[in-house]
Amino acid sequence: MKPRAPAGPRLHSLEIPLKGLTLIVPSASVAEVINPIDMTPVPFGEPWLKGVIGWRTLAVPVISLEVLLGTAPPALPEIVKGKIVIFYPLNGRKEWEFYALLVTAEPRPQVVDGSQSVAGQSEFLESPYIAAGLRIGEQTMFVPDLNKLRKMFYPT
Amino acid sequence: MADPNQYLRLKLGDANFLLPGVPGFVIEQREHLVVDKSSAGNVAAWRTMQATRVPAYCLDAALRVSRHARWQRAVFLDAASQAVGLVADEVELLPRAETVIAPFIPPGSPPTRVGPLFSGAWVTGNRVVLVFDPPALVAYLQSLGEAR
Repeated sequence: MKPRAPAGPRLHSLEIPLKGLTLIVPSASVAEVINPIDMTPVPFGEPWLKGVIGWRTLAVPVISLEVLLGTAPPALPEIVKGKIVIFYPLNGRKEWEFYALLVTAEPRPQVVDGSQSVAGQSEFLESPYIAAGLRIGEQTMFVPDLNKLRKMFYPT
Repeated sequence: MADPNQYLRLKLGDANFLLPGVPGFVIEQREHLVVDKSSAGNVAAWRTMQATRVPAYCLDAALRVSRHARWQRAVFLDAASQAVGLVADEVELLPRAETVIAPFIPPGSPPTRVGPLFSGAWVTGNRVVLVFDPPALVAYLQSLGEAR
């Protein structure tokens, strides 16, 4: 199949593998990818808050997006083999409010340039935290709705 | 003690937490308290002062009410409404220079009416010890009395 011509500016992105789905996010939103480390549990934390880790003198909450999306979260062996992706603070948040996602494998670089087709209704994951789906190669990747995530993380 | 830069380490079950010196607190030995031996209710011990008595609760690492006899000390927090206490397996006043606290507020809905239970974290390498927000901790402990 002939590749489509770029239809817009190239956005360097990262493919973030979760259990059962793949996210795509701008590379610039990711601060670092690290190996799994021990997390400190947060008493009375939300079910999607798996714990907190120390990173560069900061305390960073680690989140299971699968729990927020209502899909099966990874089991411990999958977490041990996976990675922790640390994201820069969401728009409007304080400079120390980094957050992290548990992911099942090393993120891979992708370039999004507008030539990718939008996922059809049948492929779309119905969740308030997903803004869109993109067909990239043979795979559908989902764009998280960062505004909705911000409202969930910081409700007040 | 009312030094905001000094912290008390509390061991609850297998977890450690820090309590800042801001609100002022009193550490009491077990032998100076009246241990609540009834199996009903959440109170582990009482501190008696003249005509009043102040409850102290025993919590596990998840901050759920627990009952065990290992504790030796309780920490009582001043509160405008009603003082309240927390028994701990270990209590240690940390040297001031030893603790550098990073800001940390758990994402999500706060579990108490006055906000999140934690307002900071002591980060040493990858290790994190959560720092209680005193008003929220007091509100949570007071709610345990209301829950009886």
